[in-house]
Order: sequence, then structure tokens, then C-alpha cells
Amino acid sequence: MPGETKNGMQCIEFDTLLSDALDQALTGARLEQFQAHARVCPTCGPLFAEAQAGKNWLKSLTEAEPPANLVHNILSDTVGIQSGRLRETEVAGRVPWTERVREWADTFMAPVVGVVRQPRFAMSFGMAFFSLSIALSVGGVKVSDLKQVDLRPSALRREYYTTTGKVQKYYENIRLVYEFESRVREFKKVATPAEPAPEEKDKTRRNDTSGQPEQRQERNYSQDVNQPQLASAPDDPTVVTVTTYRRDV
Amino acid sequence: MEDAQVVNLLVRRCIAGDAAAWEEIVRRYNRRIYNICYRFAGSGDDAEDLTQEVFIKMYRTLNSYDVGRGAFMTWVTTITRNLLVDHFRKSKQDRVTDSLDSVASEHEDAMPLSDQIEDKGPAPDARVRSLETGQTVHLALQKLSPELREAVILRDLQDMDYREIATVLKVPEGTVKSRINRGRAELARLLQRTYRQVM
Repeated sequence: MPGETKNGMQCIEFDTLLSDALDQALTGARLEQFQAHARVCPTCGPLFAEAQAGKNWLKSLTEAEPPANLVHNILSDTVGIQSGRLRETEVAGRVPWTERVREWADTFMAPVVGVVRQPRFAMSFGMAFFSLSIALSVGGVKVSDLKQVDLRPSALRREYYTTTGKVQKYYENIRLVYEFESRVREFKKVATPAEPAPEEKDKTRRNDTSGQPEQRQERNYSQDVNQPQLASAPDDPTVVTVTTYRRDV
Repeated sequence: MEDAQVVNLLVRRCIAGDAAAWEEIVRRYNRRIYNICYRFAGSGDDAEDLTQEVFIKMYRTLNSYDVGRGAFMTWVTTITRNLLVDHFRKSKQDRVTDSLDSVASEHEDAMPLSDQIEDKGPAPDARVRSLETGQTVHLALQKLSPELREAVILRDLQDMDYREIATVLKVPEGTVKSRINRGRAELARLLQRTYRQVM
């Protein structure tokens, strides 16, 4: 068949031109030669008819509708969220490690959770939550403000620098105030006349050999004025000499 | 802006980490890829799995796409075709359709393939009533050899030109044309026999 020539065209040439003929890309003499060959060749004629019929059958196929969740599953698979298909595979095959960890944690947490869920603990937690919420509201903290907190790294960095600047400024201001205060104190000391030196008082005390405490120290704040004084030492006590003899046994 | 430029821009944005660009790519091409997979694999479930695999592979290898080496659609189709070939090898659904009248080599007393098709499933008249024409053509398409099937799918269902198909299949254009013609003829013969028996 390939080597046969009919109407000036070999079968192999016909086969090459078959696609172009079906695409209606053949024109003129070439098309006439092709059609003439198809009419007389017992092999190429049916082939042309069958190829044309096959093409028409294929053109009759309509586009298949993809599943509704296909895009979602693809995005889940590629952008990071676990897809339904993979989940099904895991469920069918084995228990995922997250489930196993949860089960393991439940063995420890179940008794704790059981205790915590008792009414008295629930009441305590309720009160704690109530107190916390009141403290936050008194402190001016609002949940809506927390939601609006900018947690981007750049914002956090900016917040850090701002806070550091405020603290440094506060520290510098405090130091300045202290310096002023110390200077003012020095000026006051220089400006005011000198008081009697504290050494004189000490000297007076040192000369007092009576052994009595100062008058001020005798004052008993719990003692009434009219209360009789049961015992008191005279201002000028008589010196009593006591001689003791040791008896040797 | 032309479609190719839009797609190239989308690819660049996607490589830069733009999730919206990737979603746009998925929305643009999911239908087309699903249809290639569905017509080749024959089953909706397989087509869905294969389409997801194609996009996963595409997502991972998007950096390797070179604009200068061809259209994005050709690149995508090449990925799809390679995965379909792998899937076909795994599922071991090898079919011999060089001649529908030929019998399987290892079973000389077996019936011709065209007869085997009609013998499966319900009676012919019931099948004609129950199945639409499209479904019949779809089933017949599954009986073609993978080489012929992929060629006619890309040409007649996806409207790709011969040069693009040659790039995807990595064969000369002449071979592409030959496979397309043989595939169309085989399909027509198969369907003619089917309807002749029904009549």
C-alpha cells in the first residue's frame, strides 16, 4: 500500500496529507489529487472516511464538568491546608500523629479536666475571670484594642524603639531633677547662718557624770501625770559604801 | 495585554509568592487539565486525583518554567501528559488497539477487541437507551492505545496545534499526524461496529 501510486499520489503521501485534508487546509490541485486518490484507492478511501467520522465523533464530545470542590482541594493541597483527599487517605490508611498525640494527652488531662469541671472550681474560675475582666476594664484595656494591636515585626520593632526612647527620656529627666535638688540644697547650706556645732551638746553630756538619763528619756508615754511615782532616784543621791566580807570556809 | 503576557505575569507573581496569582492560575487551567485527565483516564475520580497531582507538581516546579522555551499551556500539558503516562504504567491498563480485529497475542482463541466491548455490560439495546452518545464515545476512547488516545485528545478535544502536540509528546510532527489519523480511524471503526451490532 505505501508504495502504490494512484492518480499521481502515493498512499504514503496521502497519509501525510490526510490531517491537512481533514483540517481543510488543502486547496487547488493538491486537493483534487488527494480526492481522486481517495476515490480509487481501496485502502486510503475508507481510511479517509473513517478518520473523518472519528473526528466528528470526537467533536461531539462536550467538555466534562470538573467537581465543584476541585479548585478548593487544589489550593488546599498547594497552599498548605490539608486536602480532603489526603485526609481521606489518612483516615483510610492510618491514624494521623496529631490524633495520637491528642489521645496521649487526653490520658493525662482527662482527670484534671474532670476536677476542674466541678461546680466549686467552675465558680472559682468564673470569679477569677470576672475579677480579671473588671481589672482590665478599670485599667482601660479593651478587647477591641487588643484585636487592633499591630503584631507585624516592623510595628513591634517601632513600638520597642518608642518605648525605649520614652524610658531613656524619663530617666534623664529624673536625673536632672535630682541634680537641681542637690544644687539647691548646697546653695541653701551656704546661704543660711551656721548653727551651734553638735559637738557642744556632746560635750555637755560628757560632763554630766550623774549617770542619770536625760530628762526627756524619763518620760513614760503610758504613765498618767497623777500616777504616784513608786520609786525614783534622788537628784543628789547619798553614796552608800557597802563592804562585803567573804567568809572562807 | 495578550493572554500569554497575562499568564507570564501571573507566573512571575506566583514565583514571587503571590497566592492570589496562583489561585488565578488554578482557576484558569483546572477545567482544561481535568478534561485531559478525564478523557485519558476515563474515570472522574481518577481525573480529580490526577488533576490535583498535576497542580501540586506544577506548584513545586513553577520555577523551572522558561518563558522562552514555549507557551505556559504547552508546559502544563507536558506535565499532565507525563503524569498520565506514569498513572497508566502504575494501573497497568495496557491495551493493544493497532487493529480492533486483532486478538490478544497470548490468547489466540479470544474474541476481537471490538466484540469484547459489546459483550461487557448490559444488552446493546438497553445500553443505547441508557447511555448517551457522548458516553459511548468516551468509553470507546478508553479502548484506544495510550499513544493514539493522547494524540486525538490533544488535537480534537484540546485544539492544540501539531507543533505543540509534538513538543508535548516529544515526537516529530509527522508522527503526531499519523497517530491522530490512526486514532480517529480506530475510534470510528469501533463505534461503527458498536452501533451496527445495536441496530
